[in-house]
Amino acid sequence: MSFELIASALIMGLMLGGLYAAVSISLSLIFGIIRVINFAHGAFLMLAMYASFWLWYFFQMDPYLSIIIVTPLFFVFGYAVQQLLIRPMFVREKALVVEPLGVLLLTAGLDLVLSNLALLCFKSDYRAVVLPMASTTLPLGFLDLNLPRSIVFLLSFVIAGVLYWLLNYTEMGVAIRSVGQNREAAALCGVNVYKIYSLTFGIGTAALAMAGAGMVPFYYVNPSMGLSLGVKSFIVVVLGGLGSVPGALIGGLILGVVESVTAQFVTATSSVIFSFLLFIIVLFIRPKGIMGMLEA
Amino acid sequence: MGILQVEKLNKSFGGLVAVHDFNIVVEKGEIVGLIGPNGAGKTTLFNMVACFYSPDSGRVVFEGRDMSGMRPYQVCALGIARTFQVTKPFVNNTVLENVMVGAFSRTRNAREARSRALEVLELVEFEQYKDALGSELTTADHKRLELARALATHPKLLLLDETMAGLNPAEKLHLLTLLRRIRDRGMTLVVVEHDMKAVMILCERIILMNRGEKLVEGTPQQVANNQQAIAAYLGEDYATT
Amino acid sequence: MSKPDTTRVEGIEAGKGRRFSLGWWVVGAVGLLFLIIPFFVHDPYFLHIFVLMFLFAYLGTAWSLVSMAGQLSLGHAALMGIGGYTSTLLFMELGVTPWLGMWLGAILCGLVGVIIGYPAFRLRGPYFALTSIAFAEILRIYVENTEVGPLGIPLKAAMGLLVPLKGHAPWLFQFDSKIPYYYIAFLMMGAAVGLSFLINRSRSGFYLAAIRSDQDAAESLGINSLKYKLIAMAISCILTALGGTFYAQYFRYINPERAMGLSMSVEIALVGVVGGWQTVLGPTIGSLLLSPSGELVRAYFGGTYAGLHLFLYGLLLMVVILFLPNGINDPLVRAFKRLETKLGEAKKVRKETSPPGTRRRDKP
Repeated sequence: MSFELIASALIMGLMLGGLYAAVSISLSLIFGIIRVINFAHGAFLMLAMYASFWLWYFFQMDPYLSIIIVTPLFFVFGYAVQQLLIRPMFVREKALVVEPLGVLLLTAGLDLVLSNLALLCFKSDYRAVVLPMASTTLPLGFLDLNLPRSIVFLLSFVIAGVLYWLLNYTEMGVAIRSVGQNREAAALCGVNVYKIYSLTFGIGTAALAMAGAGMVPFYYVNPSMGLSLGVKSFIVVVLGGLGSVPGALIGGLILGVVESVTAQFVTATSSVIFSFLLFIIVLFIRPKGIMGMLEA
Repeated sequence: MGILQVEKLNKSFGGLVAVHDFNIVVEKGEIVGLIGPNGAGKTTLFNMVACFYSPDSGRVVFEGRDMSGMRPYQVCALGIARTFQVTKPFVNNTVLENVMVGAFSRTRNAREARSRALEVLELVEFEQYKDALGSELTTADHKRLELARALATHPKLLLLDETMAGLNPAEKLHLLTLLRRIRDRGMTLVVVEHDMKAVMILCERIILMNRGEKLVEGTPQQVANNQQAIAAYLGEDYATT
Repeated sequence: MSKPDTTRVEGIEAGKGRRFSLGWWVVGAVGLLFLIIPFFVHDPYFLHIFVLMFLFAYLGTAWSLVSMAGQLSLGHAALMGIGGYTSTLLFMELGVTPWLGMWLGAILCGLVGVIIGYPAFRLRGPYFALTSIAFAEILRIYVENTEVGPLGIPLKAAMGLLVPLKGHAPWLFQFDSKIPYYYIAFLMMGAAVGLSFLINRSRSGFYLAAIRSDQDAAESLGINSLKYKLIAMAISCILTALGGTFYAQYFRYINPERAMGLSMSVEIALVGVVGGWQTVLGPTIGSLLLSPSGELVRAYFGGTYAGLHLFLYGLLLMVVILFLPNGINDPLVRAFKRLETKLGEAKKVRKETSPPGTRRRDKP
């Protein structure tokens, strides 16, 4: 195993990890505050990427530019999903017995609805954006880093940073964190819990959409891609600790590196098994995850 | 050597010390009252005796057996049953089914569990509600349900956490008599309550906790006259020392 | 006799016996009906729909055992796949009849289920649901992309396995008519429902109900929640694996997308959710309603509109969760009780020889 091979596997892994991180951060945030795992997470990502793609296809809009449109659009989308679909479940929870698994099933159904809606409307052809800059590379020592992928890698830090700033240095962030810690107490302090939930879901979805738009220059778009990335993000958030934004960042990077390095020794698809093994091992040894904040 | 020994028990949650250097010996057949302001650590103590939490240091010994490292479900087989301060009934099941779950800890047979459960319900005078769903009951009913459920496991030591909360004076008196009767059948009781009068009547020995520490221990009379106790409950101004 | 999750309409004073006698008569009648249908219906397509109905009732019931422990599995298709692939591979490579092979698949599945369940069941939170999805997807991806697996086992990747056709070979679990499959599926469904019923009224059933209701309270009553969750999972896995073998033998073909995919997992779960996912008869009722309609949608639209029936399934799942969280079981049971009460009243009125037309409004 030459040094160069391993180094390039590591670097590629970090780039891949950046992608995983960018996609998973919002899932962790949403769970941390609302205690809901959005099984439709992958489908949301897929839709965001389609949105960016169609903007390029019909209006020749640069995907990076489309971030400006896609992000607020999906903020609204996420807000609406929480407000209209998930919130009734919480409201009902007060009247009857708590049914935490109901929300899981609801979002699972949503995933099916969105993926197949995309399939019906867009057909199953693989789409790709053609950009001249897509094959530009940045030299790094003996390696050439693909530019769009590097951008997504940086984007993951940007997203994490922005969310971190939002949560810790704004008034809204304080309200959001308070709801995540103790929603009754927050309500007693005058915080509109349901509005915060919708806000959080909207912010998370917007961040996801940003990541998706950033991925369009180099990632194929297809109705079924949501599921595989969705599953990866589940692994990432458990790895990093459910509810932790920095955890998702680190977890994503680790997963990317693990996949990339193991792919040197086994086939690419077999390396996916190692991801799952990592997931199981984390559940065994440290279920709280790397930056575990929540009680397992 | 009592039925329950708590030796130098310590438990902190982050920076908050919940229980500090706690020692107590409970003799078989006693009714011991555990009192103290909210947040004194009473429920945390119960949780450690029932092995829901593991202590940071110290140990709990029940009938001579060190309970360190035990899981919560193992505690029941040994003969310790507890109720919860914030009740946890099985809301989708009937009262009878709730109590049957407790009875099943002593038998595998459904019919036997059912008859034992009915017996217990009669004992606590709750049998008329046997077909009511958990979700249909009031909080005071839930407390009665938890008592019945715990009793159905045929415990030797019963830990009752604020079983009297929400009852009116007549109901409380009724419950006191019931608890006495339960003790007379051979059980040891440790009771957390806030109603001083009830505690004075019921308990033979009282332990006052505050801020995780044992402040005063003695007979009801001794505790009532103790200045520290008065200070803890009513504030420094009322203590005469 | 007591179904822990049946809701009640009457108040605390009811105290009436919870004999669900009317319901049992209906179940018995329907069962009898199913038994004699093949004597009258010969159209293979109709029989096919019934086979699917029974199969999904069976799978849904097996799946619901895990729900009874309070856990949600969205990867049960993977277990089906393991079962089907194991028995088929054993047959293809070693000539082992699927009747035997399916038990090996079942044991393997039980082990797998316990292994992936163990870490997740210890934890509070959605960990098991996540694990089940991750497991199923990763298994599917692996099989879909692997021609030859470890130990030289030919997995044939996305092409799937074609069960060697032997015509009419009962000892090899192959029949050239739909009727034997019909009865086998019916028996399987009956056995699964029967098992679920027995579990429900046994100590284990009470314990599972306690665990899913309030795990802390359950543990304080001496219940080892991890153990019971694992037992429920193991039984569920074993049953589902057997169902996978049936699936393989019935369609004579099994592939990763269909047998292990998320859509199959959701179909299994949906059947349970629509009917009442933590009840004994729920999944069966759900399958009775869904399988025929689902099959019809797939038959008419599947070609032109790929994904339509999955879209509808997803929509149905959402609607049911939002409006009928306990599935159809609750309203159905309520309706039955009302019917029962009315019949009971009618009997009483007759006995007391009141003039016809007189209606007693107030109950004694």
